[in-house]
Amino acid sequence: MGLYRIDLHNHSSLSPCAEDDFSPFLLAIEAKEKGIDILGLSDHNSTDNLKAFAEACKIVDLIPFFGIEVTTIEEVHVLVSFQHIAPALAFGSWVNDHLPYYPNNEKLFGRQLIYDEEGNQTAEVEQMLATATTLGFEEVIDKALREGALAIPAHIDRGSNSVLSNLGFLPELPYSAIEVVTPRSEFEELGYPVLTGSDAHRFEEVGIRSCVIELSDRSAKALIAALNGRRCGE
Amino acid sequence: MTVKDLSQVEGLKAHHVAEGDQAVKDIYCGDLLSDVMANAQEDSALLTIQAHKNTVAVASLLGLGVIVLCNGRTPPSDMIEAAKSEDISIFSSSANHYKTALAITPFL
Repeated sequence: MGLYRIDLHNHSSLSPCAEDDFSPFLLAIEAKEKGIDILGLSDHNSTDNLKAFAEACKIVDLIPFFGIEVTTIEEVHVLVSFQHIAPALAFGSWVNDHLPYYPNNEKLFGRQLIYDEEGNQTAEVEQMLATATTLGFEEVIDKALREGALAIPAHIDRGSNSVLSNLGFLPELPYSAIEVVTPRSEFEELGYPVLTGSDAHRFEEVGIRSCVIELSDRSAKALIAALNGRRCGE
Repeated sequence: MTVKDLSQVEGLKAHHVAEGDQAVKDIYCGDLLSDVMANAQEDSALLTIQAHKNTVAVASLLGLGVIVLCNGRTPPSDMIEAAKSEDISIFSSSANHYKTALAITPFL
């Protein structure tokens, strides 16, 4: 067993309100500098930057988690994060199928830029990603867990777009963990592992809320086992 | 009525009143911004508890000139800054959406 620094909640240039030059490569390089072992990318309602992220993590030797931050129909943010890229891309496609189309407004939300595996800006998503899908909270959690992903209600102590602000309570579901901005003892008592995540939308925010967790080894499999394995192992 | 006339409505506190005479022709009450996006009509006042800058973005996209925060919610400074740059006015009320709408309705 050992202690490893993880940070599953990060954005890139693809996310609304993230900086245009905040590529998956910049995220990975800075996370490595900050001593992170396991890094997740979780753009809002899209997985289009995950291929670049995979390459970036390979180059700097980080364990990648391939994620997405889904906005549910209740406007609750949920992190879904996979050990492998293929099921993450399939999940992203399912989310996109349930995202109503509005054109993005660059002036308000910034550009939504896709990078390729060589680090070049190659495309721009025209659909507004900063809106809610038609997927229910429980439906997202359930599908994520069935597909072997981590399912984590995001920043549950935030005043907007969180399960506590929007539903008023935390439904009893087999979450992999819960994410908080500010750890407090009352969250520990909810019965789930409590994680923090940086929710970085720009370079300066990388690693600001990473957290340390005990794992059997430095691997994605060990993190999945530690969080999802609890349900049958504890 | 125009946004400026809202200053006369009892119980409303002004946090930012934009320049110009933006019309207020209707009221839309909603806390789910995706529902507001889908249903609010241009030139409505948006009555909501969503006191953050994304609400300003939604109002700007839809052409809603004023946001009224209900139930005693107050705008954070970054929301007021966003409202200034988008020429959107922000008021607040200690009353709920229904009572706030009732107070505004005679002025429409």
